[in-house]
Amino acid sequence: MPAATEINEPLIRDFITRAVTHVFKTMTGREPLVSADTEALIGKPIPISDRPQIVGTVGFIGECNGLIYLHLDLAFARLCTGLLLGMNEVELDDAGDEVVNDAIGELTNMTVGSFKNGLCDAGHSCKLTIPSILRGTNFSIEPISSVTRHSYYFECGNHRLVADILIKQDD
Amino acid sequence: MRYKVLTVDDSKTVRIIVKKAFKPYDCEILEAANGVEGLAIAAKENPDLILLDVTMPVMDGVEMLTKLKSDAALKSIPVIMLTAEGGRDHVLKIAKIGVRDYLVKPFKEELLIEKCSRVIDLKPVNEGPAKAKSILDPADILVVEDKPAIVQQIQEGLKQTPWLVKGVSTQGEALDAITKQTPDLIIVSLSLPEETAFTLFRLIRTNVKTKYTPVFALVVKTETTQQQQAQTLGFSAIITKPIDVIDLEAKIAKAMNLDTSNRYYATEGQVMVMRLPEACSPAAMAEAATYLKPKFAEAVDAGINKVVIDIHFLKSLHMGIIKLLFQAMQTCRDLGMHFALVGNPQIVSECKGFEDTRGWTFYDSLDDAKANLGKNSAPQLAGALS
Repeated sequence: MPAATEINEPLIRDFITRAVTHVFKTMTGREPLVSADTEALIGKPIPISDRPQIVGTVGFIGECNGLIYLHLDLAFARLCTGLLLGMNEVELDDAGDEVVNDAIGELTNMTVGSFKNGLCDAGHSCKLTIPSILRGTNFSIEPISSVTRHSYYFECGNHRLVADILIKQDD
Repeated sequence: MRYKVLTVDDSKTVRIIVKKAFKPYDCEILEAANGVEGLAIAAKENPDLILLDVTMPVMDGVEMLTKLKSDAALKSIPVIMLTAEGGRDHVLKIAKIGVRDYLVKPFKEELLIEKCSRVIDLKPVNEGPAKAKSILDPADILVVEDKPAIVQQIQEGLKQTPWLVKGVSTQGEALDAITKQTPDLIIVSLSLPEETAFTLFRLIRTNVKTKYTPVFALVVKTETTQQQQAQTLGFSAIITKPIDVIDLEAKIAKAMNLDTSNRYYATEGQVMVMRLPEACSPAAMAEAATYLKPKFAEAVDAGINKVVIDIHFLKSLHMGIIKLLFQAMQTCRDLGMHFALVGNPQIVSECKGFEDTRGWTFYDSLDDAKANLGKNSAPQLAGALS
């Protein structure tokens, strides 16, 4: 096994940027770009949105432990689901929330998988956990104090996507 | 044979995408949401291929794969991993258990199909008799030739057909064109630099979308070594330069399994017209003979009992044509149809030279024949000739 590379902010930024752009471009044909606001928002809490949100979550456990939340507004989540499954608005309405939840769960799984595979290849072997979904309006997710947090903002058309990464520090 | 593909993934989204990807192909998709369900379905249905995720509740993909490979009845089922777990060490560990391929999510549907088609012989749903097209239907023909004059010659030669002939000059352009729209037939020049033509042929045959597409080799008549090589490799037909356009058209129609009866038979109002072309080659006569009885029977079935046999395009007669005409007249008599002949002065004159055809009566035009059909006693004429 190669010597482990230190997990620092530039490495995390590189992995998550690649993961988000690659997954969304491959699966939906839309390519999110790093938001111009990212630098200004570093270290600040994720702004609370008053629009309905869907947050996909997948963790990674092993030599490196953490969790990534992917925040999407509901309209973007529905757009991505439609593109992913070849469904129109009416079909999405008929299919119900469960289909959108599952699609966002899978997009999150793929994104975290791509990120985690980068960590594995950098010498930090870990495995994925099963996805879960949060839905709601006007909510925030707060980490506990023993983790480091990195939030990255992406733009895709008129939509915003936030990748919120929590990595547990070494004991 | 209809293949069964089992997709084992806890994500309904992935299972829907897999189903969507396989929709154009003749196979049945079975679904399982975890390893336990996957093993049960595998034992019951004995699928031809399993697509397996890793991270799943109840039983994960690694455990399912291990159990599958230790079961004598199931271990021969090929497995392709389809998972977001893609670290090098992880892939190597799973590969050791025994998988045919490993596809890391995210994935393109085309890539999934390409990998699966290396394991099972995927066939498009529409393949078979239902797809039979007519010579009058449009079709896309791709010509891969670096000499524009040859492409132009083919386009010019086939311009009377409804076929769209597109020319490209390199392997890259050909692959791009094939990706954008799968052609109905591909003609590849063997004079492309180096081994390009043969490499391209192999790529076409490994692409699931074009593995059954007819591919012709275009080669100089004297290049016999290349022709043999093309035949060995499995090209559908060899077209030699200089190109005989009539031969090319016939080969294309045959390779695409086109219904060519429209060349010889048409229903015009309440009359069936059998028409022989100017270039009545042995191949054309054989083609016309093949459709003769079915087309006449079809006409009778539709309530048509008059036939005009139009040979005014012919420049001369020979025994093959006379035999075909006798066959047509006999068929009319068998089916109780009235018929009349249309010819030109040359044909009429030649008919007088043969004992069997001396008594034939011809009309000068199709309209005359149609107008008089039934008034004269045509079946009597057939009787006189037999």
